[in-house]
Amino acid sequence: MTTRRRWLIAAGATAVLVAIGLVVFAQDEGRLPSFLRRDTTWQAMQGRGTWRVGLDPSFPPFEMLDQEGRPVGYDVDLAQALAKTWGMEAEIVAVGFDSLPDTLKAGKIDSIVSAYPFDERLTQDFAFSAPYFDAGVRLAVRVGSPIATIADLSGRRVGVEWGSVGDMLGRQMQRDGVDVTLVPLETPADLLEALASQQEVDAILIDNVALRQAQGAGRQIVAVDEPLESVPYVIVMPRRATELHRNLEASLKLLQAEGHLGNLESAWFSDQQTSGGLP
Amino acid sequence: MIFAVDPVRRTPASRDAPTSMLPRIRPGKLHKHAQWHYDARVNALRNRRRLVIVLVVSGVGLALLGFWALRTVTPDVAPGPQQQVTTSNPKMGIHTRLTDEVEQWKIKKSLEMVREMGAPWIVEYFPWAYIEDQPGRYNWTHADQVVEHASRQGLTVIARLGFVPEWARPKETSPLYLDEEHFADFGRFAALFAERYAGKVDYLILWNEPNLAMEWGYAEPDAAKYTTLLQVAYPLIKAANPAVQVLAGALAPTLAPPGSEFGVNDLDFLQAMYNAGAGSYFDILAIHAYGWHFDPDSPPDSEVINFRRSELLREIMVLNGDGDKRAMITEGGWNDHPRWTRAVRPAQRIAYTLRAYEIAQREWDWLDALCLWVFRFPWDQNSYQDYYTFVRTDFEPKPIYEEVQRYAQGATP
Repeated sequence: MTTRRRWLIAAGATAVLVAIGLVVFAQDEGRLPSFLRRDTTWQAMQGRGTWRVGLDPSFPPFEMLDQEGRPVGYDVDLAQALAKTWGMEAEIVAVGFDSLPDTLKAGKIDSIVSAYPFDERLTQDFAFSAPYFDAGVRLAVRVGSPIATIADLSGRRVGVEWGSVGDMLGRQMQRDGVDVTLVPLETPADLLEALASQQEVDAILIDNVALRQAQGAGRQIVAVDEPLESVPYVIVMPRRATELHRNLEASLKLLQAEGHLGNLESAWFSDQQTSGGLP
Repeated sequence: MIFAVDPVRRTPASRDAPTSMLPRIRPGKLHKHAQWHYDARVNALRNRRRLVIVLVVSGVGLALLGFWALRTVTPDVAPGPQQQVTTSNPKMGIHTRLTDEVEQWKIKKSLEMVREMGAPWIVEYFPWAYIEDQPGRYNWTHADQVVEHASRQGLTVIARLGFVPEWARPKETSPLYLDEEHFADFGRFAALFAERYAGKVDYLILWNEPNLAMEWGYAEPDAAKYTTLLQVAYPLIKAANPAVQVLAGALAPTLAPPGSEFGVNDLDFLQAMYNAGAGSYFDILAIHAYGWHFDPDSPPDSEVINFRRSELLREIMVLNGDGDKRAMITEGGWNDHPRWTRAVRPAQRIAYTLRAYEIAQREWDWLDALCLWVFRFPWDQNSYQDYYTFVRTDFEPKPIYEEVQRYAQGATP
């Protein structure tokens, strides 16, 4: 055996040992590239046959407790529908809203489905699904109104909830030179009343949850133009739960294509579910 | 010139060839004169190589130095001309949060906006660990910037001191943990702070919410131990700067039952402080006055957390013969998070806030300042805390900022 060949064999053996060491280290630290990494969250879900979903049941119609104290709502149904596509059941775990990320990080739940807004600062630890609802501020008008865009607001009266994000965006609009008169009102319910009266305001700035609730309750109002500020609700999971993430995206697309998401929205923003829901 | 030719390369070494390309010498083959030329040539090439190495190393060193300098030195921002706060209510204040604000222009911008809002008072946190990370080694850069900009904006600074450096506490303890053996270290730091900023910072709060376990390093809150801290620190501070006013208390409003692992009822804690002899070791009582979901006129009740709970703390001061002593609210206010159970609607938050400033001004003659939590965070907290702010992280003023500004300019609340 030549010296050159001995060196090559030694170098090859060293490389193999280093690679094995790196794989073991990375396995421990969860640093493997995704194609080599096992998704322990997904594996555990398959072992249990359940998807542990954390939510804070205090935000109707997305999540709340029924008279028997069981969690119900849009997100509960969404979680069950998603789990069903994987042949599993969703196991709902009630957690305070601010504690949801820590609970997920601690592995006590597999995902958060709780009208949870996308949060870029959490991407180091968590992965996020595509948005399934946007709760941002919308410009809403009466059905049949000639106002179709923000540009049409010139010279108009726009109702805002005093102090709200809608109020802030309205003041921004004024600073940007849009000639609108803001009419501050105390609550979203007051906004809707003012818009219905046809006297006080021509349009309102309102968050999409309140708007959809009002529409579900039979108000003849419609959102126009793009959201003034987007607040996308997403499903949150551990960053390394790549298999779960893939399956979740596929199932969300499937539910969307089948019209299931639309049905959920119709069901949970219906008159029956939203009456008396607005402050 | 005569060069030996490398039989392998078959080319003479050029003038610029590196030494690895120097002609190989065949012993005894060179003429004496040629040998001299050859040696000179080799030396010249070696010297050139050394020079190149020195230049490369120096260049890399300079680049690293420049990179480090760019990372650690933020450009200086001129404080600008001396300003004054114009306000209809001289008790208005706000707690700023500049502790982790690294960009100096943002420090300046925040304080400018506080002045423009019409609040003459700010509370700001100066963590001990940030300034004295090693015993006796001080970095005042950030604190200097905050104090200088605040001073130039005409704001009165109430400095909150706390946050223990690693060297002053056992390993594995929280930065809010302080053993009695290090009380004097904290006192010396506070004294140094008082001395350094004499004439610019006249108010110091010693510690924050010592009646909560989490704010007391997860040790059992102990009014007597906190009083000892005051007894150690107060004389050191006064010796360094007799004019400075020492604030104590800053107790968290809580209804924690006796024996709770989380904390001690603030009313009980204050009385226990007096029992331990704290009365002679502070000049002003710091109060935290959160309203939760109650309006500011909800009557004081020992079983309720509301804004007028401050009056109960005041009663304890009077009962303990401290009626001549002043008080300041150094945290408080309302929150308008859409989902937090202790929050109110945004419109209520504005109305309650304006009314609270009115109460401070017209009803509470024992109170010098009402500093609400919190003006702005350097970055979003992504929790209910974001709904305490008056200005968003991008400096977009919330409606509450503009309404408070209108009030300070004389509008009727």
